[in-house]
Amino acid sequence: MTLDATEFEILRHKTTAAAEEMGLTLQRSARTIYVKEVSDFATAIAGLDGKAFAYPEMLGVSAFVDLDLRPTLAAFPDLAPGDVILSNLPYANGALSTHLPDLQLVRPFFHGERLIGYGWSMAHTSDIGGGVPSSISPRFSDIYQEGLQIPPVRLLHQGRMDDGVLAIYRANCRSPRTNMGDVRAMLSALETGERRIAAIAAAHGDDAVIGFQTQLADYACEKARPILDLIPEGSFDYWDYLDHDFVSNIPVRLRCRLTREGSRIHLDFTGTDPQLASAFNLPTAGLRNPYLTIRLLHLLTSHDPTAPYNHGLLRDIEADAPAGSVLNPQYPAACGVRHATVMRLIDTVSGALHLANPALAPVAGGGTVLPVVLVDHDPVTGEARPMVIQSIVCGSGARDGSDGVDGREAGLSNTRNSPIERTEDEAPVLVEHYGLRCNSGGPGRWRGGCGLVYTIRMLKDDLSVLARGLERFRFAPWGGAGGRPAPNCRVVVNIGREDERELMRIDMLPLRKGDTITFMTPGGGGFGDPFSRPPEAVLADVLSGFVSIEAAACDYGVAIRGEAVDAKATTAFRDGREGIRSDDIDAGSFRENWDAVLTDALVCRMIKALEPLPPTARARRRRRLYEAALPALASDEPLHLPDPASARAAFEREIAALEREVHA
Amino acid sequence: MSANWRLGIDVGGTFNDLVAVREGDGLRIDYKQPSVPADPSKAVEAGLRGLMEKAGVVPGQVSRIMHGTTLALNTILQRRGARLAMVVSRGNGDVLEIARSRVASAFDFTLKRETPLIPRNRVYEIDARIMADGCIDARPDAAALDALAERIAATRVDAVAVMLLNSYRHPELEAEVAQAIRQRLPGLAVTASAAVWPELREYERAMLAALNAYVQPLMESYLDRLAQRLAALGLTAPLFITTNNGGSVALASARARPIEAALSGPSSGVTAAIREAPARLRDRLVTLDMGGTSTDMAVVLDALPEYTNEARIGDFPVILPVVAVTAIGAGGGSQIMIDAQGVMKVGPESAGSDPGPVCYGRGGETPTVTDCYLTTGILAADAFLGGRMPLDAQSAAAALSQLGAGFGIDGAGAGARTAAAALRVATAMMAVELSKLLARRGLDHRDFTLVAFGGAGATHATMLAAEAGLPQVLIPRTPGTFCALGAALADVRRDYARSLAAMLTADGEGYGPIALVLDELVTEASDWARAEADGNGALPLHFQVMAEMRFGDQAHALEVFVPEDQREQLDGPALLELFHQEHARLYGFSSRDDAVRVSTLRVSVSAPSGELPDPPMVMSVSAPPQSRPVFNAGQWVEAEVRRRSGLAAGNVIAGPAIIEQDDTTVWIVPGWSARVEPDGNLLISPDQEDER
Repeated sequence: MTLDATEFEILRHKTTAAAEEMGLTLQRSARTIYVKEVSDFATAIAGLDGKAFAYPEMLGVSAFVDLDLRPTLAAFPDLAPGDVILSNLPYANGALSTHLPDLQLVRPFFHGERLIGYGWSMAHTSDIGGGVPSSISPRFSDIYQEGLQIPPVRLLHQGRMDDGVLAIYRANCRSPRTNMGDVRAMLSALETGERRIAAIAAAHGDDAVIGFQTQLADYACEKARPILDLIPEGSFDYWDYLDHDFVSNIPVRLRCRLTREGSRIHLDFTGTDPQLASAFNLPTAGLRNPYLTIRLLHLLTSHDPTAPYNHGLLRDIEADAPAGSVLNPQYPAACGVRHATVMRLIDTVSGALHLANPALAPVAGGGTVLPVVLVDHDPVTGEARPMVIQSIVCGSGARDGSDGVDGREAGLSNTRNSPIERTEDEAPVLVEHYGLRCNSGGPGRWRGGCGLVYTIRMLKDDLSVLARGLERFRFAPWGGAGGRPAPNCRVVVNIGREDERELMRIDMLPLRKGDTITFMTPGGGGFGDPFSRPPEAVLADVLSGFVSIEAAACDYGVAIRGEAVDAKATTAFRDGREGIRSDDIDAGSFRENWDAVLTDALVCRMIKALEPLPPTARARRRRRLYEAALPALASDEPLHLPDPASARAAFEREIAALEREVHA
Repeated sequence: MSANWRLGIDVGGTFNDLVAVREGDGLRIDYKQPSVPADPSKAVEAGLRGLMEKAGVVPGQVSRIMHGTTLALNTILQRRGARLAMVVSRGNGDVLEIARSRVASAFDFTLKRETPLIPRNRVYEIDARIMADGCIDARPDAAALDALAERIAATRVDAVAVMLLNSYRHPELEAEVAQAIRQRLPGLAVTASAAVWPELREYERAMLAALNAYVQPLMESYLDRLAQRLAALGLTAPLFITTNNGGSVALASARARPIEAALSGPSSGVTAAIREAPARLRDRLVTLDMGGTSTDMAVVLDALPEYTNEARIGDFPVILPVVAVTAIGAGGGSQIMIDAQGVMKVGPESAGSDPGPVCYGRGGETPTVTDCYLTTGILAADAFLGGRMPLDAQSAAAALSQLGAGFGIDGAGAGARTAAAALRVATAMMAVELSKLLARRGLDHRDFTLVAFGGAGATHATMLAAEAGLPQVLIPRTPGTFCALGAALADVRRDYARSLAAMLTADGEGYGPIALVLDELVTEASDWARAEADGNGALPLHFQVMAEMRFGDQAHALEVFVPEDQREQLDGPALLELFHQEHARLYGFSSRDDAVRVSTLRVSVSAPSGELPDPPMVMSVSAPPQSRPVFNAGQWVEAEVRRRSGLAAGNVIAGPAIIEQDDTTVWIVPGWSARVEPDGNLLISPDQEDER
């Protein structure tokens, strides 16, 4: 049935609020720190088609607007009122989960006898068993190490809890009491949702609620069209890299081809590296997973803040990630830290968007989130007590018309930092410096947002620092339209002292009393020619300490004398410049060299050559190939590529060998 | 002649609302005076003169003057406060730039960060550093302080805020630095952060000190000017300023900590709602303050307002306790529009008071919610605000019917049908916000009474209550000047807080340091309250004590309230028990084997202004009942129209009906009836099933 403009708007408010009330119920009664502090939970109401039509705005995780319940529902054609399906296994629920700690509950919503939709709730629970407390480690090589796997099972039969399922669940997590609290919170969210949606159906009619489900999607689709129309016809390729996969030193490539053809938008991730033997894989089940399109969703909601959070926004969009790749791994690939991959995926799709139309979206942000963990070892008992003392983010990328945001990047979680005073109250460290990192924003007409500096001094012995997930040491956040990349991430022990040393990656770093460790996160990339940035803007940055006087001169061609612009010298700088790149995307010299060795064609050829191998075997074979072609990758030494041509020749040799091997 | 009149003044954007309350019998007189934005004190003076004249009160009869002002709020929102510098510990100079390192939304990459209140080049780092345990890691020498003073002097600032890390627990070094600056730069106002609010969280504490310094010069000169004007009127009664916590402070306190007054307006309405609601309903109220430009809702539990320490003013956090008020998108000025897909939108754009709704005839062309009231007949063109403001019904209807054509609404009565549709959307929007407000707290809407005030609250209240499932609406006697009444009734009240590092063992050992801080806070609070209430040591003071507590490994602290009758006997085991009870209430369990951290103590002191008797009902000559057509649920119905002043206790008015009064219009939807309570309040509820 078709609703009029008033009825439609009323139902939009009511159903969205019903989904929000589900979220509020979950948030209020859950116990897990992930729910309470990081808001890593979500709720929604799906239509009879299994796609969410009511989704909260600004509550919990907004990323799953395009979720798909159909794979979960497939095995249960006979759902009765009060049934609830539980699952967490990405490889069995159509990647509704993308790692195991995310519990998923689905409940059919009835009004009287009639099925009118489905409720969904998700929470990142504290622990789901596996090899480490809290169940996530980049080191895990398959999903068995990551904890209890739950394919879709009926947890509630017509309102009655299945004690058997529950017993298995409780026996497999380290904090059953906390976890059960979360499960109960998720269940009461579903009850709230069903009560609300039934009340709406009672007031407006079942047919109105069901009709609204498709009508809202149509409406969202119409809202999206003018924005998607900003993408020109054609295909646009971009690829970006994770520095390594944690267990080896080999970079991980994600590749996206964005194609606009008529009204259709297609994201093709062919050319993305094969799935990894560590936990950076992102399961997507060969579907249009919400993470694959999240940058496009950002694009739509940013350009039209009135766009409803509804899957209809993405109706004209398709996404394909090849089976056995990092973006569509096959069972039993580990996937605990897939968020690092999603951050780079965002940069990758942003790059393709930039090539399509630079005015659409910001260039790359710093692209990493660093939870700094301090471990206090009791010298007597040997007990280790870990504390997360700060979560350090980066700067955001600049865009056409605006500088990037300094010291902030929404990324995926967008949580608040920890006050210095809180850290010092709880941990035996002194925060010597927590500030914006000078010169860390990529230069541009619009400057990239500055990254952060964070220096802590150890106030006692027996401390270690853990900083897993640090990224962008090698591959810089790129700039565009003449804008420059941002400087890489750095970690330095005892900065400014005689025993200063630079680190490339940290697993568990023991430190002594008086030692300091400094983290410097990248800023965002710059947009547009930095030599066209107004000198006053450069001066303001210098006076604020965001850009040094030297960088003002060499990166921006602006001469600062005292607290003023030297106009004459500036003109001389700017007129006399040479060698400024104006390519579309500038990802820095390491990337340039790397691409010179491993050209797109070469990587695609290698990936193709690996394809005949079983998915789980590809990572091992790929590693052997890289380390044979470029032995420096087998060590922890900084990677230099002095002679791209011969390195490329080595890769060609190894790839040819691989091709012979798989064809034999 | 005894001084027994309390005067309350609430300054708004369009009008100053004033009320005089006689302490003996509760008699009230209202008055409205147009605002003078250029010099607000002028309108206050004019209003007071008008009010006293109307009430027949001479200055000697006034016992106290209670004043709510939005000056501090507007100063911050419009960024026209003092030119400031800030001094911080070495390494922390970007504290205002980083803030809490979070963007407003992950789904809008066009958002920027806020422009800091103090630009980076006026934030100075100095080698002054206290560690968490109170050891001094770095102390500036005289030369460093000289150099600092020189740099500050060169920037020609009006005031300086000093925030050193860990000063919340060890304020001495910060106070020393502040004093050193004062000595070197006499005449410059210097604020130390821990002296304003010693709570752990450096960014928020710095912002609070900065905001306080930012509004201080304008507030001081306003308050001084006001005091002069009051003196010129012959008013010698003490002047109190209403505060964010729903209370009030004397002039001297407001001059010293003006930031406490920035968010007093909405808080006063909640104060009035609690005082005005009959005792049997006070435990469960939702307040609806709906004006021309904004609509605020708040929840009242157990006759107490809810407080938050996460309030914001514009871009900035305010960690002082503030009455928790939620602003929602729809108000009388919300504009009705049609989007590109042909869907009806109410707000978020507002016509404000200038140009205002179409019917104001001030050039507004987009119809608003107020135009909808008029076009459906809920408002009458010649009876708005007691007839003082004639409305242009024809233009409103024309604008609405033109808009309606976009939705396919045309033909006869298109304007009314469009208006009714828009009101349904607005009501649904307000109702879902109300539901969420209660859902967030796990409360049942069926237990709550909606207290409606502001110019439009009473007009929309029964539509909202019917939609949201609230069983009852309370319309106070003077909804249009309710915040002024809240000011007049406000207690003297102030909050004190201090963060500490204390740990209670599972047996409740370790209470010593907590007792010490609590004792200091209570002493400080009662000294202040006694002085504030004119050195009257015999006042019955009330203390609300709250402790932020959590398990060692818990990230989020719980607010544990200590009942007043337990405060004096409080010890470790008792405090621990309160924590476990609260933990069990929130999470369904508590771990009694674990130690518990106490991170902040807060003490609120209040000197009650005393209950006032209900005002005598003054009935004017009852006019013969009239009626007018109202467009409701798709048809015109004839609604009875009554004057509020003509109603007597016990009267029952069945909807559809309209009750007009000088400050608002009450709309009673069909199926609901109003009863006039003995105290003069209107209580409106749905008719029982069997009566329908």
